[in-house]
Amino acid sequence: MNDPWTDQLSEYLDDELPADDRASLESHLRVCVACTTALADLKRVAVRARALTDRDPAADLWPGIAERIGSATPSSGVPAVRLMRRSGRRWSFSVPELAAACVALMVLSGGAAWLLHPGQVPLAVAPARAPQAGVVSIPASARAGSVGYDGAVADLERVLTEGRGRLDTATVRVIVRNLAAIDSAIAQAQRAVSADSANLYLNSHLAATRRQKLELLRQAASLVSAVS
Amino acid sequence: MTPSTSGVATLRQEQVGRSDSDAVDATLAASGDASAFERLYRAHIGRIHSLVRRMMSDQEADDVAQDVFVRAWQKLGSFRGESAFGTWLHRLAVNVILVRRETLGIRRQRHHEGDAMLEMVPARRAQVELNMDFETAIEQLPDGARQIFVLHDVEGYRHEEIADMLGVAAGTSKSQLHRARMALRRHLDR
Amino acid sequence: MLLTVAITLGTLALAGQVDTTLPVQPGQRLEVNTFGGEINVKSWARNAVRVQADPSSRTQVVVSVSGSTVSVHTEGRRGPASAVDLNITAPAWMGLDLSGVYADVTVEGARGPITVETVQGEVDVTGGEGNVSLSSVQGSVRLRGGKGRIEVHSVNEDVTVLESSGEIRAEAVNGEVSLEKVDATSLDATTVNGDVKYDGPIHDGGRYALSSHNGDITLAVAPGANAAVSVSTYGGEFESEFPVTITQGRKGKRFDFTLGKGGAQVELESFQGTIRLVRPGSSALHGDRDDHD
Repeated sequence: MNDPWTDQLSEYLDDELPADDRASLESHLRVCVACTTALADLKRVAVRARALTDRDPAADLWPGIAERIGSATPSSGVPAVRLMRRSGRRWSFSVPELAAACVALMVLSGGAAWLLHPGQVPLAVAPARAPQAGVVSIPASARAGSVGYDGAVADLERVLTEGRGRLDTATVRVIVRNLAAIDSAIAQAQRAVSADSANLYLNSHLAATRRQKLELLRQAASLVSAVS
Repeated sequence: MTPSTSGVATLRQEQVGRSDSDAVDATLAASGDASAFERLYRAHIGRIHSLVRRMMSDQEADDVAQDVFVRAWQKLGSFRGESAFGTWLHRLAVNVILVRRETLGIRRQRHHEGDAMLEMVPARRAQVELNMDFETAIEQLPDGARQIFVLHDVEGYRHEEIADMLGVAAGTSKSQLHRARMALRRHLDR
Repeated sequence: MLLTVAITLGTLALAGQVDTTLPVQPGQRLEVNTFGGEINVKSWARNAVRVQADPSSRTQVVVSVSGSTVSVHTEGRRGPASAVDLNITAPAWMGLDLSGVYADVTVEGARGPITVETVQGEVDVTGGEGNVSLSSVQGSVRLRGGKGRIEVHSVNEDVTVLESSGEIRAEAVNGEVSLEKVDATSLDATTVNGDVKYDGPIHDGGRYALSSHNGDITLAVAPGANAAVSVSTYGGEFESEFPVTITQGRKGKRFDFTLGKGGAQVELESFQGTIRLVRPGSSALHGDRDDHD
């Protein structure tokens, strides 16, 4: 029933009708049962809406929130989520730890490049050593992935952990899921290498997969710094 | 109020209003006190979560409610105490919801992860029968009318404020409210 | 509102429906940034940039020119910007730098360098010359008709490169990497969870590296191709649609062979998937498989 009278009922209820219209409507209400009923209904809807009770969520959300706010101090007065402004290509970071991790990444990328071309260039990160005929020697530092790699990963993971509150839930979920996929691939490659440590392909694949993890962490960390 | 022996009235602790303890906790939280922020969370999560649920859906409510509190933590520095903390938080929540609605709307076909979120799977705990059906009816309103109804009749915003928040004319807000109320009157008696 | 303005240094903040055109000169580049919405860039022959948008009342579109950069971005008038679709027409020669968070980006007809970065959005570019770099975290990335130094990257979805040429690097973590009718002088195609497919010429002196952890590698090889191929897998298999002569024995699932005179260097690696050589046009390149779609 959408006639001009009923269309005014909500405004009348909310006391928003101009005086003339209000007078006409009130005269109409005296003779129209349908409109009077509708008005009463609308009032009950509004009252019921006001009376809706709030419910806590089924799960306690605080742990998730606490994890995302971490120990970071709230910023003062500056909007935390601004437009994502690219500050340049991959190597521009604002956070000191990021800069340190970034240097480690560049050194390592150079190192990893050696490992990715088995048979073409020496396997060692330090370039002067060539593999001896028939025996593949992989220096301990390269095999362990080197302190540099682990350090860079730890730094970037810390930046991501501290700053992930600034990213929205869906993005965090995508990053975490893909880091897990890469970690799983690294674990499989690692197991394979332990069983066959002289295998050139396995070693280079492990190095390449680790590099992919570093790349994804770097990308996530630069997202974090882009929204801070 | 218990008059003290010196004749000056003393307020009992319980009479310190919600907004006073909020103000104290907000100040503490703004300087990094996570326990204070947790108290604020516990005091306001029911209201915020319910708001998200009514404006969006059950599925998204947990995620978005979390995002609201995380954003509130980040913006605490800009809360100057001109309004009650609850009011400030509520306004912030509405902002988060509105931006989230739009981005979800844009990517409705292509957000693979979100497909499940957009399905309406009722999963509610048992509560007062009347309340339950009315809330379900709200959920089934078309988006625009639903947002306006929730903001006006449930949350108490004025049409001018709603028009500003949603980017519509005040007249649109009024007519959508009316449509929502007319649709909901059928669900009053069950 | 049609506004033609000659601006060398200045800013326009536009609210309400936007339709603004400003003249530009060769050498200038276009930067577009938005939080959410679409960024659609088309080309025309005019030396001008036209920006069309219909933002909500809570958002304004800011167009500014500073030296050689024309910049378009969105700002919320109170709080964060709401989503807005930016429809832009720019000269084909103009370099593009497009970014956003919840932004889907499409580009058509561009003939200059292009950089696109988005987080939760899809990227679909036709064109691009010189440095072409496309990246999304959540969404798929597709490039058609690009030329030059090409880098396409998605974390969670597929990467597709069609009818493009040059030095190509295509990477995904949880997606497929497909390169079709692609003329690469060097290629690095890699993913963790997904297949890699390459269908294009193999040039003497080129280097082609295709690798995956869990997925299959499919390489199309035309008759007469010259390549030194090394195949490495740990738990996977090797198949070929045509006979190959293994020159270095199969030791532990790694072996080499030579096609023709061996001019190009080809490395095919998959930890657990199948590595296969096919002829161009083979159904294996376009196969519908029962996998992770």
